[in-house]
Amino acid sequence: MERIVFGMPVDEVLRTLRSADGYYITNTARDLSQSDYKNRILLHTDLLAAEPREAAGYFSLEITGGASIHVDILRKQVDPFLKLELLREKMPKTMFQTLCRGVNLFGYRPYPQNVIRLVVREFAKYVDVWRVFDFMNHVPNMQAVFEEVQAAGKILEPCICFSTGPEHTNDFYVGKVAEILDVTGPDIILCIKNHGGLGTPKRIGELVAAIKDRFPDLVIHYHGHNTDSNDVGRIQAAVLAGATIVDASDHAFSAYYGPPPILSVIHTLKDHGKRAIGIDEEAVVATSDVLRDERPHYDCFESQFRGFLPTVQIHKLPGGAMGSSLEQAVKGGFLQQMPEILHKELPKVQVELGNWWSVTPGSQILWTTAVRNVLDGDRYGNPSGDLKNLLLGKYGPFPFYRPADWIYEKVFGSDWQKILEQEGGMDDIEDIDIEKERQTLAKRLGWEPTDQQLVTYLQHPNDAVEFFKFEQKFGRVYVLPPSIFLRRGGFKLGETLHFRDHDGKEHVIEIGPTLKNEETGEITVYLNVDHHQRFYTFKEETAATAAAPAQTSLSKEEIAELAEAGDMRAPFTANVCDVLVEEGQEVKKGDRLVILEAMKMQTPVESMVDGVVVEVTVDLGDAVQMGDKLVKIAKPEA
Amino acid sequence: MEKKKILVANRGEIALRIIRAAQELGHATVAIYETPDADALPLRIADEAVWIGDGPRVDYLNIEKVIKAAKKTGAHAIHPGYGFLAENPDFAAACEEAGIIFIGPPSEVIRNLGDKVVARRIMEEAGIPMVPGTGNLPPGDEGLEAALAFADKHGYPVMLKATAGGGGRGIRRVESAEQLREELPVARAEAQAAFGSDAVYVEKAVVNPKHVEVQIIADRYGETVHLGTRDCSIQRRNQKLVEIAPAMITDKKLLDEICDAAVRAAKAANYFNAGTVEFLVDQDGKYYFMEINTRLQVEHTVTEMITGIDIVRTMIKLALGKKLAFRQEDVVLRGHAVEMRINAEDPQNDFMPEGGKKVTVYRSPGGYGVRLDGFVYQGYTVPQVYDSLLVKLTVHGFSWNETVDRLRRCLRNFNIAGPKTTIPFYLNIVEDPDFQKGEFDTSYLDTHPHLFEYEDVQSEVNKLAGLIAEIHWKKENPYAA
Repeated sequence: MERIVFGMPVDEVLRTLRSADGYYITNTARDLSQSDYKNRILLHTDLLAAEPREAAGYFSLEITGGASIHVDILRKQVDPFLKLELLREKMPKTMFQTLCRGVNLFGYRPYPQNVIRLVVREFAKYVDVWRVFDFMNHVPNMQAVFEEVQAAGKILEPCICFSTGPEHTNDFYVGKVAEILDVTGPDIILCIKNHGGLGTPKRIGELVAAIKDRFPDLVIHYHGHNTDSNDVGRIQAAVLAGATIVDASDHAFSAYYGPPPILSVIHTLKDHGKRAIGIDEEAVVATSDVLRDERPHYDCFESQFRGFLPTVQIHKLPGGAMGSSLEQAVKGGFLQQMPEILHKELPKVQVELGNWWSVTPGSQILWTTAVRNVLDGDRYGNPSGDLKNLLLGKYGPFPFYRPADWIYEKVFGSDWQKILEQEGGMDDIEDIDIEKERQTLAKRLGWEPTDQQLVTYLQHPNDAVEFFKFEQKFGRVYVLPPSIFLRRGGFKLGETLHFRDHDGKEHVIEIGPTLKNEETGEITVYLNVDHHQRFYTFKEETAATAAAPAQTSLSKEEIAELAEAGDMRAPFTANVCDVLVEEGQEVKKGDRLVILEAMKMQTPVESMVDGVVVEVTVDLGDAVQMGDKLVKIAKPEA
Repeated sequence: MEKKKILVANRGEIALRIIRAAQELGHATVAIYETPDADALPLRIADEAVWIGDGPRVDYLNIEKVIKAAKKTGAHAIHPGYGFLAENPDFAAACEEAGIIFIGPPSEVIRNLGDKVVARRIMEEAGIPMVPGTGNLPPGDEGLEAALAFADKHGYPVMLKATAGGGGRGIRRVESAEQLREELPVARAEAQAAFGSDAVYVEKAVVNPKHVEVQIIADRYGETVHLGTRDCSIQRRNQKLVEIAPAMITDKKLLDEICDAAVRAAKAANYFNAGTVEFLVDQDGKYYFMEINTRLQVEHTVTEMITGIDIVRTMIKLALGKKLAFRQEDVVLRGHAVEMRINAEDPQNDFMPEGGKKVTVYRSPGGYGVRLDGFVYQGYTVPQVYDSLLVKLTVHGFSWNETVDRLRRCLRNFNIAGPKTTIPFYLNIVEDPDFQKGEFDTSYLDTHPHLFEYEDVQSEVNKLAGLIAEIHWKKENPYAA
């Protein structure tokens, strides 16, 4: 059995890879989604494809990590852990792979060590292959993740990020590999991370050969992007030079900036006598047959710019950042300046800042700096905080050379040398009190969070809270197909929507009329839910309602707290049937202040404190809502 | 029987209940309404409807306006339902004066029994066991002294009651002399506001009794029968929530005794038409007369279910001069019936009313042994200004177990969205072992706090439908942006 499956011990996986007669394929579905569909391919679609993908026999399915975890909770409204659980149920054999940004985890800035370790430990329960990188190729930035992955008994796949230019020699990269192996030991897979799809096939072949020459037993996994349409060529060169695993994805969703089609790789290498081990080609075809019908629903996320971009060799933007960069240009109205930004300024900034690797979060720094330089017309005159941190060495030391003094002077002023001296270098990020964070989360949610919820929260606090509340309100919405979840412009009257809920129960919803109350601005949507009419009322957001101050609605606890401070509020909706005190009157704790009447019963409101009445807000006969002010008592100065 | 026109001087479910009975007898019906009830179902079912004012809760209490509506529509008779004018002797008298048949006892009987002091005297004379108590307290300090002296003699706790109160309203339990001093003026003020009279009296409190009542019915020709007992022990703040027929007391001899006492009490009061004699039964099986409610009770449905006798139909027939069509020996009690009042209230927030909310979904249970007396419909907004009763669920079963099983099934089959309801709280009751054993008294809610522990559950599909509705109406789908 040559297929590598979920549950194999790490040493057995490595032994199988080292003795492989042929090569393995990782289906990088996540990178395809991120590069060409703004990370928005839904779990619903991945679940549809699960069965043929499982049958296809990949080394692994890259299905989480990168920016996808943030997008899962921010846009797709799916729990990143639930996603992995559900996919595992349908794909018992296929290993799952992630892409982790080292100290930046799945985010954009460094996290404290204890957070990194907790997050990796929790995800390692679901993720079998850990691809780990650092945009400065600074190995210490990845060390905590390395340790936790190895401690969890999972497959560690450290990366050397790849780029082009005079500094990017084989010697440099072989040296980096040695540095990594010093830390990890020999039982790893090494990834050549070519996130831009840079270099020629010849260049990649030479690099693989140079690494293999120095470390013959090292298993190499080549990762590339097809932005210039030539990644199949690079993959071919890599495999022929000794790479054992390569990345590609399903052709039904192939576009421009993501991985190339799996079948093209298989066909190309077959002609060279190289066999795709474990792969069932029919299942690869079948997967795309399932996926093809889904693609139109994702139309709105595809790049508006059709065609490959061989100019990536000049601007070096990673595939994962292409879509968002173009979108930003459209929204920012500087699309016509893109040639200047991409082909002149970006390569210039790249070299000026040190010619390191254009990948998250470094690619964002390069891009933002280039855009500002062009749009402002004042190069480095409006530096971002992240650029400052980069220049101060907060992300790690510059691998080749430090940017020129004039850039420092422009960014930090004439004092730049002093600033660099005082603030330069990497910070020790202090551990946070995770138990305290858990308590804060519990308070914000109103329930005890699970460990998984805590892990999601530690990475993206506000977005995670929003998401958990969303899930509580709307349920497990991954069950909705993209034809429903991503529908734009509403449904047709009488349209019927079918889906199965999380428990497998079949439902049908028929769309009824939508009525608007012109007076109140209320919109009522009628739906036939499982043949039973329900309606949902919304308030149309007008300028007036948006600007109106939020109505104060106090909770019981808040009312009790205020009462302890002498601010007596109505504990429920009632009528005031007696006011027993007046301003200036002295009262003792337990004295009756006001009598309220509700449900024909009178209830006295008693003072919770000793003091003097300073304000009586209500009159006999007033109707009060829960939380309304009744009487204020000033406590005597202690 | 000659076809008559009957005006229903009430609202909500009871108005509908009476309209149905009248229509079955072939009578024409007239509904009256205040403005907040303009959307109410009884108006649609009645043959005629008369608007009597903007209300709220003032026009339904306005004798003149109701009589005027009856005259205007040519109604021959008025059924007052429960609450509002039902136990107001002036209203019955006004009907009598106007030549309109009041469907209930004569005004004099209402007046006598409505005055608790007079009622006690009548019952004492008839030899009905009574809880020791004072007469109407004199005003001011003198009254307070009398109350304190009584409490000293019989011991605390004592009950402070509004003479004109009823149906659990205007009752306070007092634990100490200090509290008595404090509560007496409040009780007077409340009685004045609620019942138009500040007369109050003090009674010895019977601790954790069962609340047992007997439905009686009498014609004008000397025939008085009882329709068995009801157990209304499950209450909150003296307001009934769950009522059961017959009373859950295993000592059949005691129940027979109580029923006989009820008939004697009715006869002593010269009672006519339907009424309810209420008793407290203590833990030693001693029973005390409490009061006679001179009207149809909310919980009359459970008695109808176990006797097969339509009480409202009988009330109308008796009022129009018919004789009782059955004798005591014809009344057979079969099985058990339970009524649960499905209220728009939040039990977890001290039963705070949920008035003002729209009923966005209303699906009710049905099937064997199930009866619903309600008036809400999907899209109906529960008025803020009236009581919060939505629908009464009454189930009938051959055995107590079967009845509890049916209750559980029905409560689960309800689907009401919009206002919070008492349904999840009742679901906890039917799952409670003490309730399942039939063991409960008036302290039940206080001694079973776990009944209030439940979570607000929304079905998964309804949550998802909420998202679909949002995606549908928003011009820009936020999830596809």
